[in-house]
Amino acid sequence: MSSQTLQAKSRRNPLVTLIILAVVLVVMVLVPQVFSGYITYVAVLAMLFAVLAGSYDILTGYTGPLTFCHGAFYGIGAYTSALLTLKAGFPFWVAFPVSGAAVFLFGALIGYPALRLRGHYFAVTTFFFAHFVYLVILNSVGLTSGPLGLGGIKPPEGFLGINFAGLKASYYLVFIYGVIVIVALWLFIRSGVGKLLVTIRENEELSEAIGVNTSFYKVLAFSIGAGVAGLTGSLFAHFFRLLHPTTFAWMTSEMVVIMSLVGGLGTLIGPIIGAGIVTLILELMRFAPELRLIIWSVALIAILIIEPRGLMGLVQRIRGGRK
Amino acid sequence: MSKTRKLLVLLVVLLLAATLVLTSCKGGKAGNVIKIGYTAPFTGSAAEFGTNGWRGVQLALEEINAAGVKVGNKTYNVEIVRYDSKCEPTEAVANMRKLALEDKVVGVLGDHCSSCCRGIAPLATEYKIPSITIECAADNVTSPGQEYYFRMRPSMGLMAPLAAPKILDLTGAKRVGYLGVNDDYGRSFNKSFQDQFGPAGAKTVAEIYFERGNTDFMAFLNQLKAAKPDIVLYVGTASEGAMILKQAQEIGITPGIKFVGSEEMGEMELVSLAGSEAVDGTYAVALWGAVASDFEKKVKDKFNAPMHYAIIFGYDALKVMVDAIQRAQSLDTVKIKDALLATDYAGLEGQIKFETFEGFRNQGRYTPSFIQWKDGTREAM
Amino acid sequence: MLLQQILNGIVVGASYALIALGLNLIWSITDIADFSQGGTYVFAAYAAYFMVTLVKMPFVAALLVGMVVGGVLSYLFERFLYRRWTGLSRIQLLCAIALFFLMANLAIRFWTAKPKIFPAYLKGSLKFAGVMLSYQRIVVVAVAAVLFVIVYWFIQKTKMGKAIRAASQDREAAAVVGINIHTVNSVVFVIGGILSSTAAVLISPLYSVFPAMGDLPLLKSLVVVILGGFGSVAGVLVGGFGLGLVEALGGVYISSAYQHGFAFIVLILVLLFFPKGLFGKV
Repeated sequence: MSSQTLQAKSRRNPLVTLIILAVVLVVMVLVPQVFSGYITYVAVLAMLFAVLAGSYDILTGYTGPLTFCHGAFYGIGAYTSALLTLKAGFPFWVAFPVSGAAVFLFGALIGYPALRLRGHYFAVTTFFFAHFVYLVILNSVGLTSGPLGLGGIKPPEGFLGINFAGLKASYYLVFIYGVIVIVALWLFIRSGVGKLLVTIRENEELSEAIGVNTSFYKVLAFSIGAGVAGLTGSLFAHFFRLLHPTTFAWMTSEMVVIMSLVGGLGTLIGPIIGAGIVTLILELMRFAPELRLIIWSVALIAILIIEPRGLMGLVQRIRGGRK
Repeated sequence: MSKTRKLLVLLVVLLLAATLVLTSCKGGKAGNVIKIGYTAPFTGSAAEFGTNGWRGVQLALEEINAAGVKVGNKTYNVEIVRYDSKCEPTEAVANMRKLALEDKVVGVLGDHCSSCCRGIAPLATEYKIPSITIECAADNVTSPGQEYYFRMRPSMGLMAPLAAPKILDLTGAKRVGYLGVNDDYGRSFNKSFQDQFGPAGAKTVAEIYFERGNTDFMAFLNQLKAAKPDIVLYVGTASEGAMILKQAQEIGITPGIKFVGSEEMGEMELVSLAGSEAVDGTYAVALWGAVASDFEKKVKDKFNAPMHYAIIFGYDALKVMVDAIQRAQSLDTVKIKDALLATDYAGLEGQIKFETFEGFRNQGRYTPSFIQWKDGTREAM
Repeated sequence: MLLQQILNGIVVGASYALIALGLNLIWSITDIADFSQGGTYVFAAYAAYFMVTLVKMPFVAALLVGMVVGGVLSYLFERFLYRRWTGLSRIQLLCAIALFFLMANLAIRFWTAKPKIFPAYLKGSLKFAGVMLSYQRIVVVAVAAVLFVIVYWFIQKTKMGKAIRAASQDREAAAVVGINIHTVNSVVFVIGGILSSTAAVLISPLYSVFPAMGDLPLLKSLVVVILGGFGSVAGVLVGGFGLGLVEALGGVYISSAYQHGFAFIVLILVLLFFPKGLFGKV
């Protein structure tokens, strides 16, 4: 397992890191001011996916098991939040944490029995779980409007004179949310629990032998990943304001996995950059409707051939001067 | 790094660079070009729709550019900027934003999926880009708030009251089985007809939805057979319909129980896909009756494809858009929108006008025709 | 209706089992959940379709062409792609998904998204006890049965089969006793490609040929592999026919909209009691 996940080594100069980080943040802040509504919109989606990929990394990168159902949690969060505001009259700022918590609990409920399965059995089960969630959303027409689409969702209620109906305000909301979540995830993986998760990934039997309740921690990681996906889904629902089951079909889960692997699992920053790269390639190819996904899949395979450990692996190799 | 890896890195970099160059030099001969956007599913499970629509748009484009578009004292060529929506609303919205803000198109055609149309209609209004949907059928696509969004075809809710009494007249059905594709098209079609059939005394005895991409319909057909309907109302694509009719014949549902299909079932490709034996006797609500034979020949010559209503709509949509531009004598999108509102254009299938009435805005009035398949040909009823 | 549905379930189950047999072999020996078989399936079907309609080949010859196409594609993927990442199963999986995607989209590019109708090669159907079963459907089950016997014989009796069995139990040990793991991998992939393309060509005349035709059979076959358990031919048979029956009956008696969701419910129920699948060894 460890050959597939990278060890986050911080040999670099902290000052350089800080400067890079600051530059990236400044650029991100400027995006809606400098670029068109199209690029801002794509950037919002990319940031939402970056958070998804980052939270996915908590389970799959840091704790081990491969899952294919992150898109389902994203979808449950989106629909929960939309329905809470539409049918129960909750304000967004209540529905948002509630849907996150609901998906967290739901993740625990699913994760507890499922995580007892090993390897591929677990991975394939999560894959079909995601498809099942899609079918439920599709067929519960009375509740979710199914394939007719759920419209009329309101933007987050504004405060301090900010109106979140606009694209720019939405961008900053998602941006701030993304920064907070990623910092929180970063603190989490550096905490004692985070280190424990890596221990479990590296050697599950050994961890169990020294008295670690591995299944508890695995379920915890799974639920945290799910909960963040749920929060992100809620934000998406009130940003896009039109929910449709296809947005949460199996390809969405696949996309999160692809972004994470392209970036490099187990690095947190890798999957986040992966989300950016994958979005960038897809957007650059938009002009070629039929060729777009063909070129994209070829590029994906080419990236794997160049560096199987993803982008962060490439960075490490260049810095380390190995091979 | 090994040699292959170096080569691959180079390849990827070149690929990306080539894309960048290609994308950036697209507006090359601006000045005498009118850009019109087109968003449609070209990949994914709904790719068929985009394929047909694009065929129609291409035919119209050739004719338009052969003549040139005169605005003021300048002659323009039309350029179509085409993006894939995959039938996903988030993609369609990205397309619409790119078309409006980056490509600076003066009008947009599309999308084909109602979920996408609902996503882009508010943007058309926000960016003031007059847009014509090709075949979205859900009622709420042309809603009162959407000032810049137009539709030529009837919505399901407009079509059902016209078609339902005719179906009951022809078949005398008292028990109706519903079979539909599980998406907005299938669900809204069946609901609209149930709303009409119910009060008229035709009972729903079965209601079945299947996933797009499904190929084995035996389970559903057996279920229908057991419910003993007088007719089966089917909504879905012609290709799924063809498989259904073949399998229905295999287990002996047809010809005893008649199928009544949505507009797709009135398409010529149904016969080429299922064979006339399986199709005969099936009724369909058709969106076109008798298109001029020279247009049908053009489609055949250029694409080796049978006629399809999405080809007609794609063709007419671009023609109507260009007609509006010429009448507006301006590339100002507000003026084009006003010209579109005043459209009175002789389309392939009758006069095209946009009206605003109860619950609808910029909606075409289009009377569906009704056909029955006999010996592999469409017979008007 | 019950009997009719049972028969339909068996036909559908046979096609699942065919693909799943190949997937199971590949999966249990190389550790790759080979999604690319979904693409191979599509390409084989198109190849056979063009052989029948353009070259006017008889169906049997077209079937053979389809099998060759499937086998060759699978071989190439293993030789030039998967082999690079031996031991990195996640990368192999990602590559498999990318290939699956690539081939479905290439099919749209080459042959448009419009379905093509594969002409029937055998007309008529068998009628008994109030049910109808077309001869083409019977052929699916018959060919599947023959292939199962051949594959079983190949694995049990031939030298290569023994090497495959050895490799499935312990790859390192097999390598030590002089078994060429690369050859074993290639053979397994070729068998997998042939099996899924056979299923594709046999099924095509019943339905139609279109770029997304591989999606559902692939997903269902993945379930079948897990249901049955890795490395078990019996598991594939039970899982394949079991899932076929559950879908055929559940689609009628429970809910049509959830027909494709039953796979998940069955999967969960089975894994609750048999965490390694019904007949799993590893």
